[in-house]
Amino acid sequence: MTRLYRILLLIVLVLAFAVILPWQWYPREWRVWYADTFGASGFQQQAEVIPPTPSDNAEEACPPDIRGWRKAQTIAGIEITASPNCLADNPHAVAAFVKGTNNVGHMTLMNARLSPDAVVKGRDLDGDGDPDAIHIRLEVFELNGGSPDLDVPVTQYSIAPGITPGLWVFAPKSAGMSTENFESLLAQPGLRLPSPAIRVEQGDKVIVTLENTHYMPHTIHFHGVDHPFLTANGEGNDGVPVISEKPVMPGKQRSYEMQPRQTGTMFYHCHVEVQAHVLMGLNGMFIIEENRPNNWVQTFNIGDGFVRNSSVAVKEKYDREYDLHYLDLDKELGEKIQQSNDPRIVTQLINREYDISQADFEYYTLNGRSFPYTARDSLIVTAPGETVKLRVVNGGSEGVAIHTHGHKVTITHYDGVEHPEPARITRDVVWIASAQRVDLELSTENDGLHSYGEGVWLMHDHQEKGVTTNGFGPGGNVSAIVYERYLQDNGWPMTFGMGWKNFLTPGFYQRQEDGSGATALLASVEESGPSIMRLALLAVLAGLFFGLLVSWVLKGRSRV
Amino acid sequence: MSKIFSRPLLFLFALILGSPGYGADAHHHHMPGMTMDATGMVMGGNKDKLPDDCESINGDFEINVVAGTEYAEPYASTMFGFDKHEWQVKPCSRITVNFKNEDDVRHQWMLHGLPKYLYDRGMFHMEAAGGHSQTGVFIVPSDNKTYLVHCDIAQHMEKGMKAQLVVGSGSGDLWSIPGVTADFERPAGILSSKPWYALLISVPVFLFVFFVGLRFFR
Repeated sequence: MTRLYRILLLIVLVLAFAVILPWQWYPREWRVWYADTFGASGFQQQAEVIPPTPSDNAEEACPPDIRGWRKAQTIAGIEITASPNCLADNPHAVAAFVKGTNNVGHMTLMNARLSPDAVVKGRDLDGDGDPDAIHIRLEVFELNGGSPDLDVPVTQYSIAPGITPGLWVFAPKSAGMSTENFESLLAQPGLRLPSPAIRVEQGDKVIVTLENTHYMPHTIHFHGVDHPFLTANGEGNDGVPVISEKPVMPGKQRSYEMQPRQTGTMFYHCHVEVQAHVLMGLNGMFIIEENRPNNWVQTFNIGDGFVRNSSVAVKEKYDREYDLHYLDLDKELGEKIQQSNDPRIVTQLINREYDISQADFEYYTLNGRSFPYTARDSLIVTAPGETVKLRVVNGGSEGVAIHTHGHKVTITHYDGVEHPEPARITRDVVWIASAQRVDLELSTENDGLHSYGEGVWLMHDHQEKGVTTNGFGPGGNVSAIVYERYLQDNGWPMTFGMGWKNFLTPGFYQRQEDGSGATALLASVEESGPSIMRLALLAVLAGLFFGLLVSWVLKGRSRV
Repeated sequence: MSKIFSRPLLFLFALILGSPGYGADAHHHHMPGMTMDATGMVMGGNKDKLPDDCESINGDFEINVVAGTEYAEPYASTMFGFDKHEWQVKPCSRITVNFKNEDDVRHQWMLHGLPKYLYDRGMFHMEAAGGHSQTGVFIVPSDNKTYLVHCDIAQHMEKGMKAQLVVGSGSGDLWSIPGVTADFERPAGILSSKPWYALLISVPVFLFVFFVGLRFFR
């Protein structure tokens, strides 16, 4: 018997030692195996738990426009229209994108936080008064990534209160820091989801250079954009690693060339391990505008949304123009970049172990935000008797069924190709499959068909998952068509229902409050404890320990 | 009469031309000590303004730094790197940094924690475009301090572009500097911040429990 006890004691001690041994002293391969088998380590759990926030800590619905970005202004000789939404795009960046970063002054570049070669606008090839040789430079940024020193995501970007999924985005080549300032962990306003809409003119000689500032290989594929299979010097130009070229490694760059003959709303995305990279956020809208004289197009629309400087052809037909980018995100995929700081492990987790066939999608975004943040920068603001152009792309992996309350919209283009006018369809639910684009004409003529009149009319994906954030509503891609009369001075919509204060707390999306406001008793729902496997292991240890103790006591008695 | 006045006037003219900021080259703009062009930028450059606590410049140091993915190779779990991750200088010294970027994308050599009355946001910041070099000069104050040096492009510090400038005897090593204090996996667990301390405690405890246990069941 004593022999058995000794063996048991040894087992207990070894197990206890294994549990107590600090996590980082184990070989890396063991840790990867452990994370795969038993789930998250302490590092991951810490990242998930957000301390409960009382609702009187609610964020300001609409942060004040301290920098004066919303108002109409002239920068570097470019007249920039006022932006109706609460959060406006940086007008200095808009001016630099219209004129070219090579043609604006030092102060404009500093305020825009752009590199002088981000958008180089060169010669006027057709002599119609606008530049046609365009050189665009894109970088790749990781938002909400992990850090070896902090237990919160770095270069932070929230899609909704307290929701910071790991993301990768393309962004115009910037200058200086990625954060707002060195005391802040927040990403500077130019770095955000979605990857920006890119605009060029039909017939422009375009070079797009991908400068890979990220720690994983990437490429760009120009989906639907007229481009040759090979560049002039015979290199791959389609962005597909298995067919046309090797991926662009970290710290390297590659240029893509095109001179698009056709117009339309197109798409671009990374083509490396597409089942993961595209869904991390590496996809954006690519628009080829009709060729017109003196047509200085706004090369980038950061974060999509309201187009502050529409092209000549759009201005001929429409009063306003909006870019709308729908994207669903897999929470678990985004968390992978926060799980390890080792590029080899992240590569393994994303490129090899991520199984999209077992995935579900938790976050539904419009222009990189979920409700209520969509109301800050992605409302469609209009007025009676207007015609508004909406360019819509679905960058996600599931279809979206966009429903417009109070309006029926007319589909003018499918995948950038104009639909013949007599055959056009007017409807109130528009289905858009993955990677598809539609151009919509929103008429605000109050005739009971196109519009039912002025108001704050919701606009959302009518697949009900799409109006939730991690399965909890209201959230997701809910936005609204808002008439100017129903817009407050600061760009926030007038609402007549329940207050939004609860929605503006991180705790709300941790399910601490019922979406209808009916109960406030669910605080413990989302508290994540140790995994079941870990508890079971502890139970085995405790069982062995007490078993030994009891049998030792009994043994003592029997001797007496 | 004119001859009497011409000398002081000439002197005054020379003084204006020679004063810092007036005759500066075309790259100098609204901020003193700042240059910016297509090859990159230098912010917070300071060749001659002494920190309040320094009597004089206590020697000149020259630091040559090369940046690129190639320099990440010696250190596991990094992707970007500098050729050196630690430099030591004397208090009140003037430091010239020659920063060379061998990658095709931009990189930064950014130093934090300098006195804010002398450096905007307490920062000396260099950015070199892909394949380009930048040179900048700054003067450190008199206290013994370890300054953080890094590249602030998203994830570049986390993936290896983190270094320290030790002034005098310094104020202790910073966390996760490749080759100096690098454990790029974030530490977790109760005793992990001082691994040797943990080892010192856990090994005797293990041995004690082990032998006491054996004695009990003998």
